[in-house]
Amino acid sequence: MGEKGVIGLADAEYIIEMLNITKEFPGVKANDNITLQLKKGEIHALLGENGAGKSTLMSVLFGLYQADEGIIKKNGEVVKISNPNDANEQNIGMVHQHFMLVECFSVLDNIILGVEPTKLGMLQENEGRQKVVELSNKYGLHVEPDALIEDISVGMQQRVEILKMLYRDNEILIFDEPTAVLTPQEIQELMEIMRNFTREGKSILFITHKLQEIMDVSDRVTVLRRGKYIGTVNTAETTVEELSSMMVGRPVSFLVEKSDRKPGEIILDVDGVTVSSRLHKNNAVKNVSFNVRQGEIVCLAGIEGNGQDELVYALTGLEKQSAGNITLCGQDISKASIRDRSIDGMSHIPADRHKFGLILDYTLEQNLVLECYWEPEFQKRGFIRFDAVREYSDKLIEQYDVRSGQGSATIVRSMSGGNQQKAIVAREIDKDPELLVAVQPTRGLDVGAIEYIHKQLVAQRDQGKAVLLVSLELDEVMNVSDRILVMYEGEIVGEFEPKKTTVDELGLYMAGAKRDNGRRDLT
Amino acid sequence: MLLAKYTLLYSVVLMLVALGGAFTEHSGVINIALEGTMTIGGLVGVLALVVLPPETSAFMIILVSVLAAGLAGIVYTSLLAFASVNLKADQTIGGTALNLLATALAVVIVRRFNSGTQSAKLTYNNEPFLFNIGGLTVNIFLFIGIALLIIAIIVMYKTRFGLRLRACGEHPQAADSVGINVYKMRWWGVLISGFLGGIGGFAYIVPAVQTWNFEVGVAGMGFLALAVMIFGQWKPGRIFFAAMFFAVFKSMANIADSTFLAALEWPKEVYNMMPFIASMIILAFTSKKSRAPKAEGIPYDKSGR
Amino acid sequence: MKKKNGSSLLGGDWLASIGASFISIIIGLLFGFLFLIVLSLINSDGEGFRSIFSTAWKYGFKQILMGGFYLPPISLGQEIAAAAPLILTGLSVGFAFKTGLFNIGAAGQYTLGAFGALFCAIVLGLPWWACLIGATLFGALWGAIPGIFKAYLNIHEVITSIMFNWIGLYAVNTIMYGGGSGVMYDSSKTKVWDLRSLFPASVIPNLGLATFFKNRSTTIAIFLAIIIAIIIYIIIDKTTFGYELKACGYNKSAARYAGISEKKNIVLSMIIAGALAGFGAGLYYLSGIAEWKPLDSTALPAIGFNGIAVALLASSNPIGTIFSALFISHITTGGSLMNSQYFPPEIADIISGIIIYLCAFSLLFKQLLMKRGSQRHSAELLDSTLKEPPHIDSLVPESDIPESGEASGKGDDY
Repeated sequence: MGEKGVIGLADAEYIIEMLNITKEFPGVKANDNITLQLKKGEIHALLGENGAGKSTLMSVLFGLYQADEGIIKKNGEVVKISNPNDANEQNIGMVHQHFMLVECFSVLDNIILGVEPTKLGMLQENEGRQKVVELSNKYGLHVEPDALIEDISVGMQQRVEILKMLYRDNEILIFDEPTAVLTPQEIQELMEIMRNFTREGKSILFITHKLQEIMDVSDRVTVLRRGKYIGTVNTAETTVEELSSMMVGRPVSFLVEKSDRKPGEIILDVDGVTVSSRLHKNNAVKNVSFNVRQGEIVCLAGIEGNGQDELVYALTGLEKQSAGNITLCGQDISKASIRDRSIDGMSHIPADRHKFGLILDYTLEQNLVLECYWEPEFQKRGFIRFDAVREYSDKLIEQYDVRSGQGSATIVRSMSGGNQQKAIVAREIDKDPELLVAVQPTRGLDVGAIEYIHKQLVAQRDQGKAVLLVSLELDEVMNVSDRILVMYEGEIVGEFEPKKTTVDELGLYMAGAKRDNGRRDLT
Repeated sequence: MLLAKYTLLYSVVLMLVALGGAFTEHSGVINIALEGTMTIGGLVGVLALVVLPPETSAFMIILVSVLAAGLAGIVYTSLLAFASVNLKADQTIGGTALNLLATALAVVIVRRFNSGTQSAKLTYNNEPFLFNIGGLTVNIFLFIGIALLIIAIIVMYKTRFGLRLRACGEHPQAADSVGINVYKMRWWGVLISGFLGGIGGFAYIVPAVQTWNFEVGVAGMGFLALAVMIFGQWKPGRIFFAAMFFAVFKSMANIADSTFLAALEWPKEVYNMMPFIASMIILAFTSKKSRAPKAEGIPYDKSGR
Repeated sequence: MKKKNGSSLLGGDWLASIGASFISIIIGLLFGFLFLIVLSLINSDGEGFRSIFSTAWKYGFKQILMGGFYLPPISLGQEIAAAAPLILTGLSVGFAFKTGLFNIGAAGQYTLGAFGALFCAIVLGLPWWACLIGATLFGALWGAIPGIFKAYLNIHEVITSIMFNWIGLYAVNTIMYGGGSGVMYDSSKTKVWDLRSLFPASVIPNLGLATFFKNRSTTIAIFLAIIIAIIIYIIIDKTTFGYELKACGYNKSAARYAGISEKKNIVLSMIIAGALAGFGAGLYYLSGIAEWKPLDSTALPAIGFNGIAVALLASSNPIGTIFSALFISHITTGGSLMNSQYFPPEIADIISGIIIYLCAFSLLFKQLLMKRGSQRHSAELLDSTLKEPPHIDSLVPESDIPESGEASGKGDDY
């Protein structure tokens, strides 16, 4: 796919230019030679999947990170932004995805924090309040200055964040995924507010993965993929299909060998599950129903943050669902403990291997028996049978090719990410579960390890096990799964067979541009 | 009467120290070294008192010794600040260390001061600090305490400094994102508790008696102040009432043998226990709603964004 | 480094841990010596530096370094006798550390243990081993309280422990004193009755050690303490229970993921920690080293807090605790043997205090050591050892802290 750059405009028309920005973190190039140009008075959307590099790029602009290479220009002049104060001096402001608000402070205090009007060190709250009320009226941003943050709605909290920027006379406003926490009504209001800003001459950058919103409100769109700049288009001249294509690109074709199989009985049945969110009042998972059968790999696809994590927590028992039932092999496990679910036949390869999957300060063998140390094979009257543990661990290491410095006695912290993941996979698969839940199992791994894990997943399926895969990587989704369920904003919005759909179509559903209604499972 | 005298004495002490603790915790650092700070502050204040020539005016005596106590407290707690803020060490361990060190240090210094005798006692003249109001012996710390309370309330809630300080303890990332230096603020928070704790220790020792045996440090008042702070939910106004509440019980323990309370024949330790038991009950019921500063105890690391 | 089958002292960097402890000890001792010199200087009356230095050495530092070996066999016996209960309080604090809990309540549990021991001896007239059990049970009870408050009410164990330390002290003293006529109270001496003369069956036997060390207080307590340390070591390293406890201490989330019940383990861990401290009190008071003074309610037993120093120095390792307790006892005994005309015995406490302070950032020392040493995995270990295992909770209940950025691991959402 060729690049569509924007050609031939005079520099002075750009209020902000980020040229050739490169930013690396250990092991990953978050931004690879990206160029972004923002015109004065425009609403410029920044589109991309997870890992595309959008948040990093904006964090560089706001001074939270420093770029390794590249420069930033404002009004044609090079500027250095080393911290949020510098950004503020350049009139750049940012509304973060996770609000930077002090819960027990009032709206007013949050807005003036850092730029408080004072007289001899004493706060002049009335002065501040006056200005806030003025701005609030001018832009139609209704807030209650003396209400506490913890008492107000998420929509109002966001308006507080916006007022923070206006109070500081910011002219360049960055919004990071602003609509994730809003109701449809509030989203409309926000868009109107953004349009008002631009009529005033302010310029807006807004990060999103939601195509419809881009079409509704932006003037131009820049698309990033895997840290690279893909292109910039005029919104009026493009379509959701085109944007979706740019966003997800062509799948890499290392095909996974898979024979056709006929799925057997239902192993996992999820019925009307709702899970509340810790971050906001909306539910993270809304009345989701689906099932997984023997011998099939079902994949929950979607952009991160659309409820997949919370759904998995409810399934595995790490969190309680607020409504709905979960059945495993015919038994209701909705209230079962985590250990019971494991004993009943559920294995879980968690998304965060360091937080949930491993105890980094334990040895490899100690981690490999994490889910079975209490079984008679490994302990006698409470005393660990070290020989049995060592034997088991050695066996798994060989079988699953887990590489480490000192074999079973290695401290897991010192192992590479790929081998740590292989250890988790080995442990979970060797339990011989009826249902294997694998969440982003190949994240951060090299090609060899990815291939290996895919092989394991398919092998499980071929043996008649049920596999629920949650993945953000569309090539993985397309190649490994038998059935794809797309999640968007906590609901399942589409069901597909890989052979009968395309990556572009999936992209549309993942970005909320399209949705199906009706029952989720076929057969 | 005696009850009133002791109550006033103790409540001022508890209030001052608890206020100091509240400042630290509002900035995000746990300070359990209050006991040790009080001891050191008290020690230096008393030493100043002893060392000042007898002709000095009462005003100067009070000024110099109180400031000395406060200053000593600041210097001592800077050890905690350094370990907790700059080195990001565990705050409870650092605080415990300072408590242990303080009493030992105090005893050593006093013994040396007493020319190597075994006595860890210092004798001083506490007259400049006391005076009579209508038959009630009252000490100057009452006024110092109330003045500092008012100042604390103003600083905490009405100044820019106070606002920023509290932000650092609630949501240091937010504070950082608006350009506040969290490390600097936390240092301030800790040092303020040093100042108030030092004065509090001095206020505990001096008014009641003319001789103090430093082997006992401050006999647990520092920990009691911690309880007052929690009971008062880190708010200066409530701390004031919490301090009174606890002080009443402690005074009752003091006078249990000699006054009307003797008729009840409750052993004095019962009174000593009551504030602690009351705190635990309160904590049990309010733990869900307890408003400890959200980010306290967690070392702030800019790179952990 | 070869690792023993199935056990690891502290996650693979145990050599660095010992090294860090040594650094803390050496710096602590140096500071102590400096202190002595300064004190000597203050008192010098214009003597030359040589003389000041030698005073500090001869009358002070030498005793500290030699400890119980300065006036053997009596002082050696004293050192050993004092080490026994210290091993236990060190184990108490260390055991709790392993589970990620800070047992600052060891002093209170010790107090209750003392009560238990003395009650069984004086009031119930039980033999010494039964009294020890009594001490243990009372200590366990007092340990359970902060455990329950933490597990079920989410109140930090430091707060609960501090409160109950004092509640315990007052309660025990009240009961013992009994208004001046308590059964356990000897009003003529204002102390609890002397066990050796009145209740000899309750005194821990010494199997000839007393004669050997010419010190009545040296009993088999030290052996009992060492045995307990070994038992604790076995529990922590060789049992499934220990496996679960350490898992909770190292990584709460992963422990949950594995189906380990966090609440149950917190309470159990504190019960055991309390039991250990209580047992320590039993060893002390049933050895007749000293009698309890019910009239003194101004301070908690210091041994409870010295246990923190012991545990930190040993990095919570039970076997290491034996040695660090002996070390602390060593310098404390040495401190008491210093020429008190020149130097007060509290110098030893100052050294202990400094050592604890240094232990608070022993992690720094560890990192420095690992940078220098040529361990193979030093680079990765260095980068990832940014958190000291086990991690001790902040005072804020976990549910109040919003998860920033979710459980999606580091480096998400680019």
